[in-house]
Parts: sequence; structure tokens; C-alpha cells
Amino acid sequence: MAEEAAAPAAEFAPAEIEEFKESFGLFDRVGDSQVGYNQVADIMRALGMNPTNKAVVAILGNPSADDMANKRVNFEAFLPMLKQVDAMPKGTMTTTLRVLRVFDKEGNGTVMGAELRIVLSTLGEKMSEVEIDSLMTGQEDENGSVHYEAFVKHIMSV
Amino acid sequence: MQKEFPVFSLLNSALNTISAALLIQRWYRQHVARLEMRRRCTWNIFQSIEYAGEQDQIKLYNYFGFLMDHFTPASSERNLISHIFRKNEICLDTEWERYFCYKSIEVTKSYTGPHLTFPVTFCGVSKLVEAFKHKEQLHARYVLQLLGETWRLLRTFPNISHVIACHTKPITICGDLHGHLEDLLLIFYKNGLPSSDKPYVFNGDFVDRGKNSLEILLTLFGFLLVYPNDVHLNRGNHEDHIVNLRYGFTKEVLGKYSVHGKKILKLLQMIFSWLPLATVIDNKVLIVHGGISDTTDLDKIARVDRQKYASALRPPKMKSDSYLESKTTETDLDEWKQVMDVLWSDPMPQNGCIPNEVRGGGCYWGPDVTEEVLRRNNLQLLIRSHECKQDGYEFCHNRRVITIFSASNYYEVGSNRGAFIRMGPDLVPHFIQYQASTTCRELTLRQSVGWTERSALQALREQLFVHRSDLISAFQEFDPNNKGMISVTHWASTTERVLNLGLPWRVLRPQLVSSTQRGMMDYQQWIKELSITEPKLEISDNSILDTMYKNHSNLETIFRIIDTDHSGLISFKEFHQTWELLRSHLKTEISAKAIADLAQSIDFNKDGSIDINEFLEAFRLVDISAHN
Repeated sequence: MAEEAAAPAAEFAPAEIEEFKESFGLFDRVGDSQVGYNQVADIMRALGMNPTNKAVVAILGNPSADDMANKRVNFEAFLPMLKQVDAMPKGTMTTTLRVLRVFDKEGNGTVMGAELRIVLSTLGEKMSEVEIDSLMTGQEDENGSVHYEAFVKHIMSV
Repeated sequence: MQKEFPVFSLLNSALNTISAALLIQRWYRQHVARLEMRRRCTWNIFQSIEYAGEQDQIKLYNYFGFLMDHFTPASSERNLISHIFRKNEICLDTEWERYFCYKSIEVTKSYTGPHLTFPVTFCGVSKLVEAFKHKEQLHARYVLQLLGETWRLLRTFPNISHVIACHTKPITICGDLHGHLEDLLLIFYKNGLPSSDKPYVFNGDFVDRGKNSLEILLTLFGFLLVYPNDVHLNRGNHEDHIVNLRYGFTKEVLGKYSVHGKKILKLLQMIFSWLPLATVIDNKVLIVHGGISDTTDLDKIARVDRQKYASALRPPKMKSDSYLESKTTETDLDEWKQVMDVLWSDPMPQNGCIPNEVRGGGCYWGPDVTEEVLRRNNLQLLIRSHECKQDGYEFCHNRRVITIFSASNYYEVGSNRGAFIRMGPDLVPHFIQYQASTTCRELTLRQSVGWTERSALQALREQLFVHRSDLISAFQEFDPNNKGMISVTHWASTTERVLNLGLPWRVLRPQLVSSTQRGMMDYQQWIKELSITEPKLEISDNSILDTMYKNHSNLETIFRIIDTDHSGLISFKEFHQTWELLRSHLKTEISAKAIADLAQSIDFNKDGSIDINEFLEAFRLVDISAHN
């Protein structure tokens, strides 16, 4: 599978860092200027990254389940982790369309919603039924097909 | 290659599929995380504006209190301030009974609303609920009669209600309702109506903000009268006639009952002061509206003369008689603090106990205070309300404190769920969540986040607009050469300094500022773009306009207080006097002459008096951009 090459680790601009710090603060539910290990992946995603859960666990140093639930990290420790994730290939519109084309049996720009649901719930970092429903709402037409260019635009935007 | 070695093509295909799954899953999870962040921002906006409003009102009250205590104004102004604190209204209960008498009010044949017979029955109250469901209004005679009975009953109750939990009758505990009748109806639908087999505790804040506060009260009081041992009402910080002036309940009552509204409001004022302050289940679970402080003492609370605290916003003066000067004793202040803390406090994550500056009343208390107060009073759990929670409820302080909030869609359609608690003798809370309104169920997560967000940003733009003169002066400090440009970093820190809302400005910037170049923005242009208003009057003085916009709610509160007969009119003299008193509090330089001219121009009827509603309409912010 051709993937983008890993980008060289770029520095974040000071203004960017200030913004990250503000966002980080939004997730601190305890008031100690830290966030839990189990929140780190989501904060990174909120800041525009899209790592796999596995990648984040590795960056956190493969903590135990107990650590994941209880350990906390401050912004200064979080920032280098964010940089590491930023350097990972994120996938573009092009690559994402390409992977979906694999399921496009008829080559007509659609994939079967049902097939997508099965794949997402049984492979990779499995999604729950609730997550899949939330993802697929309004994406399937009356034949149960998903027009994947629109679908990709939908999940890549906010 | 693929033809000769089918295994490779299968493997390749499987790998492709897994990669596909992973990539889509990554994008999906990013999408959800970004929505969550937007939702949190939106929440912060609503909450900080809400609490800033409460703080504002308390500051205003404290200011008048300060004047009362420290300053010997000329007699006319003293009268005005006394007016505000209703010092001179002391009557015997028998005199009040005469005043509130409903008997002379006739129910004519043309009345098509529900009828109530007394003493009220379960059947009667259920029919009343049905009538409210169909948007009918109860006749003023029945309202006064029902309220009169409620007042008489509440006077027999202690400050703290004690309840025993029982196997066959789990107790239902509800939080803030804030005039959301649809939520109360939803709770009754899911859980059943109150009865001797279905005891309920309602934890305050029944009124304000929603448009059916009165119907909620009449319903709750109706059930209270039928089942006085099984329906328990705790007072909330909004069961307070001064707070009601600002947050909509007073307006609702006067709007629905133009002739008898004043009497109804007065009777409600007495009822609110007689509402119990706390409920305790099995001597183990404490239920209060706001919370506690490090000095909370249930024995003291049980002993206070609770009806003295008609409005918790000001320590009570003793009833003065002709011989003695009224004095506030230390005991009074101590009691007042016990009451304020229970009605206004919020939990905080850190240990300790500090004054609640954000709300302006009560404390912020920490987990160590929870442990200590629970231990001291032999309790195991604290249930409180007072703060809106996205899921309708939330645990804190090592699960020793529960916040329960029952008004769904509180900030905006789709903003949050409501919840209630069911509890049996094991004292383990079970939560039932819900969300009223059919429209929001059909929205996707993204649409509902967007909807609420638009509303929050609108509210925030209004706040920015009313502070524009302060903002521009503050920005100019960073723009000595007057180029009209400022860096985004300075914009964020300055805006926070001026507005003091504790919001993530850098995160919000893309939604508030249309364009930046190389980290710089044109702040004059930005202020212009906020384009909130279209002045309805010919007032060239921008500082007057700005002051009016900024203090809109305060002015509304004060005017409604002065307008004792609720006629909707105040005299020029009263307007002028009020302004003179407010001047130093509002820190405004507006001269007496400017105010006199203003009064003249808003005398729409040219009869020497100012119509409050027209005045407020003239200075209400209208979003021009919404019409484009």
C-alpha cells in the first residue's frame, strides 16, 4: 500500500502553540492543568491530527490499563507527543478515495453501505454499532449505497 | 503474477481492506473529537454569560446595600432605596390574608379554562396538568386560592424535610426545571404522577427563563396540597422575587395576569420565602439546591427563621418598630450566610472553600469540605442542582456529590439532556435521562452542535458589541501608531481582560473574526462587522447608547422594582433619581442634562412618564446580520 512519506518534524508556530494550549485547557475537567492519558488521543484529534489509538498508546509509552485510566499529563509533556503525531502521515482526500475505490465493485462512485458497516465493525480499530450509526446517518441512498466522494468530504470536514 | 499466485492477490486485498478500515476509522474519530471541542466551547460560552449575568445582578444589589448602609442621602433618594428593599412593608399575616382574598374575583361564564374545586384532589390536579398540556390558562381566582392554600401549608413545614426511603415507594428526585413545562410533563410521563406511592423531591429553580414557570408552580403546589407528606419542594436561588425581575418570571406573570398579576407576585414572594431549604433522606442523603460551604451546619439551618429571607440577595434587617433602630446582628449575618451557601454554592475540583465570585453569592467548595460536612452531619451523599450538565447529571468529589438537572435543551435546542434520580432504601441513585422536543431528536450530532453553536456565538457577539468602547481603548494600547491593526495574540488576551468570561478566544477566533493577515487583524473593521444594532432613537451620543446596551438587564430590574404598582410606567423624576444613584456603580460620565434629554426623547406618550417596555425595546440589541 503506497502511503505518503512521513513529513519532517516541523516546529509549531508560537501562535499555534497558544491555541493548542487553550484547546488543551478545554479538556481539563479536574482543574489541575492536566488531562488524562485516556483523553490524549481525542485532544490530538480535536487539534487536527488523526492517529490510530495504537499509535497514541505507543507514544504514551505503552501504559498499563490502570495508567491509561488514572495517569495525567500536562501541556509541556503533551506538546512533544503532538509533534510526533503531526509528523505521521495523515492521509489526504486522494488516498482516502483510493482506499474506498477498492470496495467500488461497479466502478460507479458508490460502495455498499452494508459492506462498509461490516468492515468498520470487524476490522482495524473496530467501531461500535452506535459509532457506525452516527457515521452512516444520511449517507446511504434508497438502495443502501454510499456515494463515497461525498462521504469522504463529510468525514474530513467539520 | 496475480493469476499464478492467487494467495498474493487475496492477501493484498485483505491488507487493502484493513487499511481502508483504519483510515476511515481515523477520520471518523477525528471528526467526532472536533465536534466535541466545538460543543465544549459553546457550553463554556453559554455558561460564562449566564453566570456573569447573575454576578452582575448581585453586584448591583450590593451597591444599593452599600448606599443604604453608608450614605445619608437626601430624603427623596432614601425613599427610593427603601423602596428597592421594601423596608417599609411589614404587615401581619391576617392583613395579608385579607389582601390576597380571592373571593371577590368572579369566574364568568365566558371562561373556558380549567376549574378547580377545593380542597384539591388528585383528580383535580391531574385535570389541571392536562389543561396546561393543552396550553390553557388557570383563572386568577383559582390561582390565588391555590397559592393561598399553599402559603398556609408551607408555614407549617420545618426548614428541613425528612423522608424515609421505602422498598415499595422509591423516591424520585428532580433538579432545575426553569419553566420548562414540557420537561416536567416528560418526567410525569416516564415516571408517573406524584402520589403517596410515588414520592417526589423537587430541588428548586422551578421558575425563570422558560415560559411556563407559573404552570410548573401551580402543578407542583397542587400535588403538594394533595400529598403534603410525599411531595417535597426545596427552595432554589431563583425562588426569589428580585432574581425573577431579571430572569423573566415577573414578566411572565404580569403578561398572563394583567389585572391580578401584582397580587399573585406578592403572594408568590411570600411562598418562596416559606419554601423549605433542604430535604434529607433516611438521615443519610442531603438534598439542597446549590450546595454547601465549610461552615454549613444542618442544626443551624434547621433553626433559622427562613421566611425572613424574602430575597437572599441582601442580609435581612430586623423588623423596625417606632422605638428601635433596625440593626443587623452577627447572628443574622451568620444565618444569612447559611442560607446563601445552600442556595448559591457550586462544587470545585480543588480542596478548600472560597467565595463564589463568578455567581456573586455562596461559595465554591472542594472535596475536602464535602468529606468534612458529610462526616460532621453523619451523611453519606449530597445531591444538588444549580448547574446545567450536558447529560442531565454528573458526579464529583469522589462520587459523594451528584448534580441533577432536569431542564433539557436549557441553553438551546439540543444543548443538553435532562435527568432525574430514582432511589430506594439502598440509597443507590438510578438515573433516567431524556430530552424534550421532537425537533432535536431528528438532528444529527453535527447539526445539533451547529445549531447550539450559532446561538452561543450570537450571544457572545452581543457581549462583544456592548463592550466595544472598552475593547477599542484596550486594543489601542497595543497600537500606538494608530494603524488599526493588532496581533491575534494581543486580541485574544485583551478581549479576555475586558470581558472576563474565561473563554478560549484563540479557539473561537475563526468563528468571530472573518480574516487575518500574517497573524494580524484589523480591529476597527472587526468591531464594525459585529453590526448588532440599528438604533431606534435619534441619539447621537454613542456613549449613552453603549451604556444603555451594556446595562440593559440591570436597568430592567431596577425599573420594574420602582414600578411598584406594575403599571409599566415610571416618572421622569424616578428615572432621574435612579440614574443619579447608578452613576458611580456603572462608572459612567453621562451628565444629568444628557439623562434629562434622554428621558424627554423616550417619553413616547408625551405625558411626563416613561413606558418601561418601550424604553427597553428602544435599547434592545437587534442583530442586523440575522436579517441578511
